[in-house]
Amino acid sequence: MVKQLLNWFRLRRLEKDLDGELMYHIDRRIDDLTRMGWSEFDARRQARLEIGGLTQIREEVRDVWLTRWARDFAYDLRFSARSFLRSPLFTAIAVLSFALGIGATTAIYSLVDQVVLHALPVREPERLVVFDWKGLTASVNAFGTYNLLSYPLCRDLQQQERFFDGAFCRAATTISLSTGGDHMPTAAEIVSGSYFPVLGIQPSIGRLFTNDDDGTPGASPVVVLSYDFWKTQFASASDVVGRKVLVNRHPMTIIGVAAPGFRGIDVGEVPSLWIPAAMSADAIPGFDQMLNRRVRWMQVFGRLRPDVTQAEAQAGLQPWFTAMLAEDARRPEFPKIAADRMQRYLASALELAPAAQGHSPLRRRLSQPLWVLFGATGVLLALACMNVAGLFLARGSARSREIFTRLALGASRGRIGRQLLSDSILVALAGGLLGTVLAPAVMRALIAFLPRDVAANALQSTLNPRLLLFAILVSLISGVLSGVAPAVQAGRRSLIAALTQRGGASGSLRLRRAIVTAQIAVTLILVVGAALFVRTLTALVAKGPGFETSNLISFSIDPVRNGYSRVDADRLIHGIHDEINALPSIQSAAVANNPLLTGGSWNTQMTIQADQRITTDREVYINAVSPEFFTTLGARIVAGRDFVERDTRPASQGGLCVAIVNEDFAKRYFNGRSPLGAHVGLGSGPDAKAAVEIVGIASNISYRGVREEREQAYFPLVSCATSGGTFYVRIRGSREAAIESIRTIVHHADPTLPLSAIRTLDEQVGRSLTTERMLAALSAGFGVLALLLSLVGLYGVVSFTVTQRTREIGVRMALGATRLATMWLLLRDALAMTSLGIAIALPSVWALGRAIESQLYGVKPTDPSTIAAATVLLCSTTLIAALIPARRAAAVNPADALRLD
Amino acid sequence: MGETRGGKHTNDRLQGTLDLLVLRTVASRGPLHGYAITVEIGALSANRLQVQEGSLYPALHRMTQAGWLSANWGASENGRRARFYSITAAGRRQLADEEKNWAHLTGAVARVLRHA
Repeated sequence: MVKQLLNWFRLRRLEKDLDGELMYHIDRRIDDLTRMGWSEFDARRQARLEIGGLTQIREEVRDVWLTRWARDFAYDLRFSARSFLRSPLFTAIAVLSFALGIGATTAIYSLVDQVVLHALPVREPERLVVFDWKGLTASVNAFGTYNLLSYPLCRDLQQQERFFDGAFCRAATTISLSTGGDHMPTAAEIVSGSYFPVLGIQPSIGRLFTNDDDGTPGASPVVVLSYDFWKTQFASASDVVGRKVLVNRHPMTIIGVAAPGFRGIDVGEVPSLWIPAAMSADAIPGFDQMLNRRVRWMQVFGRLRPDVTQAEAQAGLQPWFTAMLAEDARRPEFPKIAADRMQRYLASALELAPAAQGHSPLRRRLSQPLWVLFGATGVLLALACMNVAGLFLARGSARSREIFTRLALGASRGRIGRQLLSDSILVALAGGLLGTVLAPAVMRALIAFLPRDVAANALQSTLNPRLLLFAILVSLISGVLSGVAPAVQAGRRSLIAALTQRGGASGSLRLRRAIVTAQIAVTLILVVGAALFVRTLTALVAKGPGFETSNLISFSIDPVRNGYSRVDADRLIHGIHDEINALPSIQSAAVANNPLLTGGSWNTQMTIQADQRITTDREVYINAVSPEFFTTLGARIVAGRDFVERDTRPASQGGLCVAIVNEDFAKRYFNGRSPLGAHVGLGSGPDAKAAVEIVGIASNISYRGVREEREQAYFPLVSCATSGGTFYVRIRGSREAAIESIRTIVHHADPTLPLSAIRTLDEQVGRSLTTERMLAALSAGFGVLALLLSLVGLYGVVSFTVTQRTREIGVRMALGATRLATMWLLLRDALAMTSLGIAIALPSVWALGRAIESQLYGVKPTDPSTIAAATVLLCSTTLIAALIPARRAAAVNPADALRLD
Repeated sequence: MGETRGGKHTNDRLQGTLDLLVLRTVASRGPLHGYAITVEIGALSANRLQVQEGSLYPALHRMTQAGWLSANWGASENGRRARFYSITAAGRRQLADEEKNWAHLTGAVARVLRHA
């Protein structure tokens, strides 16, 4: 086998050698014959006769050198290439169809691979697991995404050496970083000392964290840079180790740079640097709860020992965990909770899940949409294959004389079939190559759809060997699929009949009609899908966030992360608020603790004291806002009153504890009665005090995102409890001028304070809807492409039919058929194909609709009006596509047609 | 030794005798080129067996590729370059096998003819 492959390269030399051998043989024979008395001429003739056909000998020896099959295939490819070059239009259309399908599939697969499938570039990622607490956590505070546990629990799990080769924890955060110049918001990861060792990451320069760097809180002000950050910010300077940077105005020393290619464990948020957990008080201003077992803020991962499975570890940890829970409950600082809740707490379990791909909210958000898109591109590729198959069938029937001549000369049907198959494989590979070249551009466009605030995502738009392999595989499969129909068709016809028949065979026409029917079915599915996604997007945009987004700008500042104390930060924010309000181009301004429409929120259970004391059955979204927040946004106070300045004063200075809830809150927990005057409190334990009076009801606005409908509660912005504020400013007049004025004010207040995310609310709404926009835009594009492909296919078939049946049409017209009747003959054909296609598609639409239901909003997947509209669109466009050749049929001159051969 | 049918040389008399004869000839007479092999076989069989060149060369190349023969270019009797084939160790083993099979086959045929 290997020898045969090598022989391909030595072919010319081998052939030369063989010729030499044969010539020698002939010469010796001539010598012998002449010695026996033959004449030179006769001897030469005799020798040649004896040796027989030299070409045949060469053929047979060549068969020995190379496998027959491979040799034939190479010949076929050369033949196909030559014949394709002779018909450039056909080749161009076929190659483009494939390029489209394969390019799109490769691009989407790349994203699916990176977001959903790809394992982390660490040592043995398949041994990594993530911990999750199942049951009552009895925590007093939690912030972050999900799978949240406390830092002391991570330390405990690090001791579980029976099951784990190590454990680490991490939390993503944003810090204000200065590398010597301006302070910029920068993405960072707070990690335990075991993070790098357990993952198995090596440093590029310097060293990485060890467990020693994670001892006493505040004792190790060191950071590790990411490789990309080092390259862009420090120009890969070799002397970064030992330099100082300011993290939230705290100086820290760079001790090393991580290996290239390691970008943290979240594909959607890449940190620029890593900070040890011991320094979390510096990284998160005001946070000194690192050692508090009741504060959950980190994801904890473990590396399973090689001889332990995930199930074994989970089962084995349970006894230890239960014992730890009991011990925890006995500690003095454990919160007092009711007996039934204590039961649930003690019954909690620690669940393990595979974490080879790390932890990524981006994956959670995009996983299903990406698979949906992948399915849609697969369907598009199938359509492209079908189109090309149709093209090949048309071409095949034009070549039927050639094929049957070859059959008559002795070629086997299998051989002809193989040649046709190599035709389509060649076109598919060419299309695949073109598509792969185009794929990175498509990927870049898709990645641009995903907004990034501070952290970049780790998604790349470059090709890698895995992707190329995928593209080649897909090309080959497409080529085989689209070539199988013509190849099978070629072998099936009767030899004599085909050679004497005028015009092409009818077998291929039936197949082409079947293909067009399938294409129409598939197109209907895609068009319905596109319509549903577009309607989802328009419904969400029309619903809006519940407030007036025109002429509304927001921006965020974070004084505490930039070194301000809480008191100074409050004063700063108040000062900026007043100055902005004083601007003539500003209608009103307000401040909120948490920004709206960013996908995040502050949420907690609440206790309500009205006639009876109840706790909320699900978490309430909470925010702290300044007075005029609702009016600035354009939301209404439906009942009661808005916050006034007095409410924002701390209780010691005459401020009242008040809250405003939204309509959904009132509806869910008060059932039509007025909530005004009732009291609420944060938390749901028996010791939660419901001391805050509800003084107003606001109309529903969107907090996390446009889709959600949740109960919300607002408190007056007494002080910047976390560390920053988001301003909402309603402007008059020019947007640019207003933004300029705002920048000037903030700069004037503090030149080094970074101002982040200054944008209009329209933009913010757009950003919060990226997934929906991506789905709508792409599926609409697919729908249009699919429609075009099907229409072209239908046009081809009807056009071919007209040419085929020209004589028949001529006879009919001569016998008295009207033009309209002739047109109807062909339109009826097209209508039959369309109806059958639609009939096939409708059950699939129903089935597939269930799969995408979770992505939709405001429209059900089986929405009749959408399906009806799609059907009407399909019917009308196919009729038009069929009309063009039908008119040609009607214009047939009977006399000419009958004279036609 | 074989018949030419439709371009392919099929050996429908006794399969594999060409291999056997070539291997034996080369084993006992030493390195030979293609022409010499035909001459030798013709001579040894008292001109009853005539090797057809059309089947000889494909067979020689096949056996070389299979590792039973090794081929080298060298100077021949008349001074010109020719390709000489010699038997390898694997070839000798193959030869022994084929001789055994041939003996069994002819023995069996002879028995049928004697007793039928």
